[in-house]
Amino acid sequence: MDLIQEAAGNACRATETLDELLADYPDRRHLAREILKQEQNGDRIAHDILHRLHENGMAPPFAPTDIHALTHAIDDIVDYSEQAADSLGLYGVEAPMAQAQQLTAVLAESGASVLDAVTALRDHSEIAPHLVRVRELESEGDRLSREAIASLFAKGIDPMVVIRWKDIFEVLEQAIDSCETVAHILEGISLANGRS
Amino acid sequence: MTKSSAPIRLAVIDSDTGFVRVLAKRVEAMSWQLRALDAPVPPHELVAMRLNAVVVDVSMLGQRAWEYIEAIGEGIPGLGLIVCSVQSTVAQRVRGLRLGADDWVSKPCHPEEVIARVEAVVRRRKRAEARVDRGPLVVGELEIRVDQFQAFVGGHNLDLTRREFELLRLLAESPAQVLQREEIYQRVWGYAMAHGDRSVDVFVRKLRQKLEATSPGWRYIHTHFGIGYRFQPETDRSVERPGEVAAEEPAASSTDAEEATPNGTGAGIASRA
Repeated sequence: MDLIQEAAGNACRATETLDELLADYPDRRHLAREILKQEQNGDRIAHDILHRLHENGMAPPFAPTDIHALTHAIDDIVDYSEQAADSLGLYGVEAPMAQAQQLTAVLAESGASVLDAVTALRDHSEIAPHLVRVRELESEGDRLSREAIASLFAKGIDPMVVIRWKDIFEVLEQAIDSCETVAHILEGISLANGRS
Repeated sequence: MTKSSAPIRLAVIDSDTGFVRVLAKRVEAMSWQLRALDAPVPPHELVAMRLNAVVVDVSMLGQRAWEYIEAIGEGIPGLGLIVCSVQSTVAQRVRGLRLGADDWVSKPCHPEEVIARVEAVVRRRKRAEARVDRGPLVVGELEIRVDQFQAFVGGHNLDLTRREFELLRLLAESPAQVLQREEIYQRVWGYAMAHGDRSVDVFVRKLRQKLEATSPGWRYIHTHFGIGYRFQPETDRSVERPGEVAAEEPAASSTDAEEATPNGTGAGIASRA
């Protein structure tokens, strides 16, 4: 459970770092390297969790299939965050879009709620409010992403801007969706273990 | 093929898709930038596209053809205008050329001939521009040299990128005017600004940092909240008058300042031409 907590903490930090990167882009573009390290750290933690799961004599805190799913879903949050940060450099983005900043703010809050939910599961405290918040944020992210992509197709916009930002908006939405996937899995675990 | 290093930016206003397709293939092979337009656009939009030349089928212009040709000829002197038509009389061609068209091509025409005519028009314009010695634009302590795509303060180079220079030039050539972000983007980037795009704010911030580093006693670019920017050189002393409000544009820059009085004590703008 400590490793899952560590994974969620790492995911939370990655989403916060991405939010900071976008808020002060391009001045703090160096934060992309930090997110890459967090992504590598996430991979290491995921490997440790799965390795520990298959060690003999270890009693997992809940069903191994749930641990598998949860580990991958948390890792996806970090992977998509890193992909979004990497795309800014890869596409030579010169300046941020306001909608991308809004999306990363939603993602950072969602990442924090995921961490709160995992902490609540570990501490046997109330998990439901955190899961509800993650779902609300997913809806908000979905709305922001759709509006952002639609705005790119106004007349006369540079096609390169459309290509770059459509891709980045979609990746940010996937990161937010991954938080919701984590919430679904946590809810299932919580119900199966008689917690709420 | 033109000897200029910068690729020619060409727009074609023509509904003949076959002609446009063949022309597009050829100009793309020459690394030109082509904007194919299926309807005439207002002249100010052509300005925003930062074109070298436009090829227009006169049949696309309808009854306002002469008005359109004249508007381009008079309003956008740096833009080459090549008119195409399937059928035209001598009187029509003469009228079009006198109103501002640089060339008139009769259809059917080979795309290679159109390309050669565009090149000739652009070449002539560049020669004419080269002959015009504009001289540096002097504003406050700043000297903007169009011939070097650079700005200087007391001989010190600001080391501006091409985009920063174009932004500075645009602002400095419209002194004391508030330019909207959308207009700035259109004229510097050559495309419509996507909603939410912070490029103008980011580049104004970079420009200000370089200006403040080399000309610390002066402020040149002023923010107008929710609108855009105004270029007006002012010394710090003139800015710090009692009662004048200096506030920051939240999403743009820590150095952006809202101007309570749009026409503060500013230095004059002079050209040494």
